[in-house]
Amino acid sequence: MPVIAVENLKYRYPHADALALDGLTFTVEKGEFIGIVGANGAGKSTLSQALIGLVPQFYNGAYGGRVLIDGLPAESTPISELCCKVGLVFQNPFNQLSGAKDNVYEEVAFGMQNLGVPRAEMHRRTENALKLLDIWQFRDRNPFDLSGGQMQRVAIASILVMEPDIIVLDEPTSQLDPQGSEEVFRTVDKLAHSGITILMIEQKIEKIAAYCDRILLLHQGHQIAFDTPQKVFSRPDLEQLGVQAPVFTRICRALGTTLPDGSYPVTVEEAANQLRRTSVLPPVSAQQEERPELFEIRNLEFSYRPGTPVLHGINLQLDARPTAIIGQNGAGKTTLVKLLKGLLRPTGPSIWFRGEDISHKTVAALAAQVGYVFQNPDDQIFRYNVLDEVMFGPLNIGMSEEQAREKSRAALALTGLSDQENSNPYDLELNERKMVAIASVLAMDPDVLILDEPTIAQDMMGRRRIADIVRTLSAQGKLVLAILHDMDFVAECFDRVVVMAQGQVVADGSPRQVFADSAALQAARLDPPHVTQLCTRLGYDGVFLTVEEFLDACGCQA
Amino acid sequence: MKSISLYVDNGSWLCRVHPFTKLAYIVTAISVPLIGGTLWLFAAFIALSLAVLASGHLLRRVTPLVAFSFTILITIFLIHGLFNQNNQTPLFQIGPLRFYQEGLLYALRIGCNVLNMLFSFAILVLSTKPSELVEELEKRGFSRRIGYIIISVFQIVPQMMGTMSTITDAQRSRGMETEGNLLTRAKAFLPLISPVVMSALINTRERAVALEVRGFAAKQKKTYLADRTPHRGDKPITIALLALIVLAAGWRIAQCL
Repeated sequence: MPVIAVENLKYRYPHADALALDGLTFTVEKGEFIGIVGANGAGKSTLSQALIGLVPQFYNGAYGGRVLIDGLPAESTPISELCCKVGLVFQNPFNQLSGAKDNVYEEVAFGMQNLGVPRAEMHRRTENALKLLDIWQFRDRNPFDLSGGQMQRVAIASILVMEPDIIVLDEPTSQLDPQGSEEVFRTVDKLAHSGITILMIEQKIEKIAAYCDRILLLHQGHQIAFDTPQKVFSRPDLEQLGVQAPVFTRICRALGTTLPDGSYPVTVEEAANQLRRTSVLPPVSAQQEERPELFEIRNLEFSYRPGTPVLHGINLQLDARPTAIIGQNGAGKTTLVKLLKGLLRPTGPSIWFRGEDISHKTVAALAAQVGYVFQNPDDQIFRYNVLDEVMFGPLNIGMSEEQAREKSRAALALTGLSDQENSNPYDLELNERKMVAIASVLAMDPDVLILDEPTIAQDMMGRRRIADIVRTLSAQGKLVLAILHDMDFVAECFDRVVVMAQGQVVADGSPRQVFADSAALQAARLDPPHVTQLCTRLGYDGVFLTVEEFLDACGCQA
Repeated sequence: MKSISLYVDNGSWLCRVHPFTKLAYIVTAISVPLIGGTLWLFAAFIALSLAVLASGHLLRRVTPLVAFSFTILITIFLIHGLFNQNNQTPLFQIGPLRFYQEGLLYALRIGCNVLNMLFSFAILVLSTKPSELVEELEKRGFSRRIGYIIISVFQIVPQMMGTMSTITDAQRSRGMETEGNLLTRAKAFLPLISPVVMSALINTRERAVALEVRGFAAKQKKTYLADRTPHRGDKPITIALLALIVLAAGWRIAQCL
């Protein structure tokens, strides 16, 4: 008997016109690892909530068809009963904490307490889960004091201890650094091998391809395909459905390299086995133009509490080349950019902006020149229509009403929100709200734009949009400084990469130099971009950064 | 994260005493003087509370509470000493102000009552982890939901204060001045408070889901990670305290007869 059986599932949220889920039918066997992919708005999260009965029990709305979990109808079985069979981990780790426990150990045990698990068993499971997810050392810490990645592992542990047969994960790695998300994937894979059924929604398509047995492809509430990763990612209409195939699949398709069954390889191993080594010239770096220097950082030290330095001995000159800062969670990336923005104060003069010491400038005084987009758009949105929200910044820095409106419209056009000008920002999806936040800083027309993890929660279209923004601003001679965890995106869009680890800069140079520096990458616990990995495996000389670059070298058009 | 709880584990015996023993003390310390009705009982319990606080090394942490309450107490003495409706017997005079005995006695009674409550509550609040108190209450059948609300306040309020500072940073980054004259501050109010309220609402919904999927609404009897090791004083102290209440009541009834 399948562990999950979905029959013609239809669902519409209350007060919505369109169906969020429309006619889904599939079954999942015990121990399978299923990936759920699709563009934003495809119904992925809604489906995850339907599997645990939150849809329709918690959200109400119109519901049709059936979801059977181990034979129990998800529509009517109490969630407190279903949650012993299905666990749900979602995107924002912060809101998954119960808020009732002041240390990690008790937080993880919270669910078991509710279900009345005997004490000895609770201790055993908690200890196992904490060790499995490598958070045992944080057991006495307050969960709210942990970093996003650590918190997410606490959230997974909290679900794991309830020993469900099925775990549904809704983009659980979006807040994690590359190493952290790899750890989560490996843990989840381990769980799948131990017989737990996994359904995972994920934008990191290469990872999904490598780990999943089958892929469920959704588009605007419809089920498009439910098949092996090779079959699904070989579909010619994938991009029209808002999903980008894995790097390896794109390369093999362009080179016409197929697997025996006619589909294209989806993982680095498959691709490396199928691709025959041809003579390929190593890529040549384009000459980089000289750009005027904007920031000068000398011997920067910073600590939040005396005795625990977060940054030490940072020396950097930043010019107007688009620059990415990469590194693990807690490496000091956000602290560094907050210092550049003046939100934190260095102890002495150590940062100069255009030759001026900024240690005694106010944030508001710097606002016109240095723009900073925060990670969470909900920390700034307060107006009831998008245009007003975007105009707030420009008006603050003394632009006239007319000029502010003009700049705001331009910013909205660049972020693809022109038709949402009069919408209420709170009615938009998270990915669109993020764009509103970016637009509201763009409209202030700063010379420096700092982005903190802009690609989180963005699908293929969103990522392309952000890539466009980076290129447009760079062409205008502005500095885009972004903190990123997505190495493919870094390799595609940035001319300079700064690698940070433990509060220090461990490498700094063009992406080609940095991604060739395996010692520095190891120190920062980062992996090179996927194309680079494939080429290293094939034994090619040089560092290839993008699919296009590699295909060019192979004498083939993408 | 800054905690808003006043509890600090200083390793004293008071931290290891069961929260219910301290609750019993509060009930006794407040009810006995009220039942007894004489001023010296208040004094006795204030002295006792201070002695307990001292033995738990908490005396220094109670001073700010006293300092705060004194500003109110002085006002009470002034108002009743000067203007109480029963004032008849002048006691002393400072400049043009004449203080009366009746009003001052009345104020003294209020003052003793306030201090008595303050000190007896201080014993509980300064030496008990809020989550421990609620957990013990839940074990005796207290509502799980209300217990959750009480405890989550201690976690979520500091969290909201953290959010508040992020929001301030985000709006300052958009060129908003947050410091300056009253008008500047008034203008800054909406951009600062709306995101707090809205994100609190969004978070509440998500947290409700998170609780739901972790079996919060389950009907089963809850289990707990640990039993407290009972303090050897718990039982005798509680019995003695309850006996005191009975005694006071008996004495008062006997007086009335």
